[in-house]
Formats: sequence, C-alpha cells, structure tokens
Amino acid sequence: MKKHKVVVCTGTLCHVLGGSELPSLGQRLPEEWRGLVDIKGSPCMGYCKDSEMHPPFVEIDGEVMQEASVSKVLEYLEKRIGHGTK
Amino acid sequence: MKKTFIDIDYGFIPKFGQIVCGDVFLSEKIKNENRLVAVLSDGLGSGIRANILANMTATMALNFTINDQPIERSATSIRDTLPVDPQRKIAFASFTIVDTEFDGKTRIIEYGNPQFLVFRKNELLALEHQVLADGEVSITEFQTQKEDRIVLFSDGVSQSGIGRKDMPFGWETDQMGGVISQIIEKNPGISAYELRKRIISQSVLNDIGKPSDDITCAVLYFRNPRKLLVCTGPPFSKSKDEEMAATIREFEGRTVLCGGTTAVIVAREWGEQIEVDMKNFTSDIPPISYINGVDLVTEGILTLCKAAELLKHGNYEDAARHDPARLVIEEFLSHDHIEFLVGTKINEAHQDPSLPVELEIRRNVIKKIAYLLEKKYLKEASLKYI
Repeated sequence: MKKHKVVVCTGTLCHVLGGSELPSLGQRLPEEWRGLVDIKGSPCMGYCKDSEMHPPFVEIDGEVMQEASVSKVLEYLEKRIGHGTK
Repeated sequence: MKKTFIDIDYGFIPKFGQIVCGDVFLSEKIKNENRLVAVLSDGLGSGIRANILANMTATMALNFTINDQPIERSATSIRDTLPVDPQRKIAFASFTIVDTEFDGKTRIIEYGNPQFLVFRKNELLALEHQVLADGEVSITEFQTQKEDRIVLFSDGVSQSGIGRKDMPFGWETDQMGGVISQIIEKNPGISAYELRKRIISQSVLNDIGKPSDDITCAVLYFRNPRKLLVCTGPPFSKSKDEEMAATIREFEGRTVLCGGTTAVIVAREWGEQIEVDMKNFTSDIPPISYINGVDLVTEGILTLCKAAELLKHGNYEDAARHDPARLVIEEFLSHDHIEFLVGTKINEAHQDPSLPVELEIRRNVIKKIAYLLEKKYLKEASLKYI
C-alpha cells in the first residue's frame, strides 16, 4: 500500500503563527498508523508569499492544508486512512 | 606568513552554595597596537565580597597594563585601593596579567595565583621567571609561537579534590599539566572554549560535583585564524542567487546557513535535497535541516534572535544540547573570524504588523551578533550584504 505523504512546513512564519507544535506530529501519530504515513519537514514551502493563504501549512499527498495543527492533520489522516482509532 | 590569531575563552563555576563567582577574568584586544591584555583575578574568600575585590583588581590591572604603567606602581595602587576585610583585616586579591603582542612577544605578571601553564603543541614548557623585589610578584617573558596555549586558572582548579585519599593535595600542577597535554595530544586543534570546558569539568569532578572554591579557567590559543561563513537571507536580486551559492561552495572553512528560504535557494542551486531534522526540536524555534555540503542549516530570524540573546547573557550552555541556537553559537565560538553574508531581500510575509515583534529586521540582528562576538567574545567579524 502506498504511504500517505505529509510535509510539515518548519519555516519562520508557520512557526510563529501556531505551527510550533507541528514538528512533533511524528510522535503524536497513533502506533498503528506509523507504517502508513511518511512525515517529512520543509524549511519553507513558500506558500506564505501568497497573502491570501493562512499559515501554518502542511502538505498531505500534495494537497495544502492551511491553518494546520496537529489535531487537524490527525483528523484528516483518520478520514484518509479510513479506519478510525479514536 | 599568515597572521596569528589568539583564540581566547574562559569559564567559571562558583563555589558550591554561592551564586556569584569570586574570580574575575577580563580581556581586551587593542586593535591598533596589535596587542591583547588579559587578567585573571581571584578575590579573597568567596561570594559577592570576593567578586568585588576581584573585579576591582582585574579592572585596575587591565587598565594599568594597557597604559603601560610599571608593574610596581600598579601593584601598590591596587593594594591601596582594595577595601579591607573586617574579619581578617587584610585586603587581598591575587592576579595574573597576560600582555601579549600578535607577533608573539609575551609578558606574564603573576601575583598570588597558581602558576600558569604554557604548552607548545602538547609539550609543557618550563619557563624561567624573574621575581620582583618584594618576592611576591613574578614576571615571565617569552616568545610565543603558533600552536602555543597559555592556560590560566584560579586555585579552585589546582586545589580541586583536595583532601581526597587519592589526591591529598588536590589536582597538582604537574598532574594537571599531564592531563592537559594528553587532551591536546588527542585533539591537536582543540579550541580554547573546548579545552577550558574540559579543564573546568575535570575540576568539578575532582570536587565530586561540589566545588570547594571558585573554579575559573582561561585559555589563550595562538593559531592560524579559523574561518566561518554564516549566510543568512535571500539575496536582494534573484540574479545573485547563483553567486551566493558559489560563495558558500568555494569557502575555505565551515559554513552555516540561517534561513528557510536561503536553504531552499542553496539546495536548488546545487541540486541537493534538504532533510529537516524531525527528531530533535525545541518548542521555541524551528528545527535544523541538513544539506549535503553545508555544515549547519537552521531557520533564520528566530534562531538568530535567540542566539543573540544567549550570546548577550552568556548562558548558552543552559540551552538544550540540540537547540539550534546553541549549535549556531558553538560554531561561532569555535572559530576566530566570522564572515556574515547577509541577503537583503525583505521577506514580504514578515511585514504584517500583527506578527510578533520577534521578527526583527535581519540586518539589525546580525549587527548585534557581530558586535557581541567582537566585544564580548574577542572574535573578528565582517559583514557583507548581497
């Protein structure tokens, strides 16, 4: 099965606008999902240059999530993976 | 011949139970005379009173030496100025003054401190010294070479562990010389910062974690200058991206990148991947990344601001081992000449007035860091804008 690809932006703006918890996403991932999700970081994905978009940003399977948070990402992944754990 | 750089660093740990150290170390580079003067003073007793005695002594000794006053006169002035201890009825602070020119001519004046050590590579030098008339002040004059190290310390170091069965007289100078010589033999290029840290932790260890006196150690290391390039911020014009990436690639020395966009540009220009370290992170600043060919990659402004604060207060060792700001500072402190290549493009995304004030202007933060490195840490710093 193909892994879901998550890219977390660790840039300055994402960090100060609520994304400081995002690097810990990997540790907050439920045990049973670990083999299904691949989490990476990016120094800056560049979405912040667009004033219409709202940081922090996380990319999941190529789609951008705005105003991302650990719980929002987990919720989204839960839907994607399809079997709820909580 | 390349000019010699004097890498200098010191550290201290107060006596157990005290919050202030009774030893003081001061140093100053006199740029137009190519000269460096450093003073280590140990005040009588410990705590605040000792600190004041030592501070007064060190300040006076430093200024008298810089102004080329004869040592006898300096000693008399210092003795007459110090406040008298009401219990012991004496005023006392010992001192060691190092007065060295960059061509190597060095004079060390010592009063009451344990004998300093001079290492040529890893060999301990036996230097002759002349004793002044009153029998207490000794003067040592010699010519330093590259790869020489002068180690100064207070008696808290040489007497650490005193009374222990295996070291009844403490960490004696001979024994200490042997240990330091071994450290240098194993790490021939060890920086002043690393060496004094090793000496201090060994002293604390000798005292089984509870220093019985103020422990202070300073190291002066004569060497070829080590260069560090710190590159931060995207260039003003995109056409300069290539130039910036090439500067980093061709730099002779270690390189540090501070800034997400900067990292993206360099990786793009080099055709390299960026890997963000998602295992080690602190909550207050973003994590570091790895790019093949760069020694350290961090986020920009937040990391630099934190580094500036830590440098200002000197408490960078309190930060976590993997804290990006501490990693940057460790790079700064293990080099002698720090070159900043500052991109001047304004990040439009940072200009929103509702953002936290920590998003200072990059140029100001770099100027602050360069000033601190020169004034407080005696480094050489240069700034270039791109």
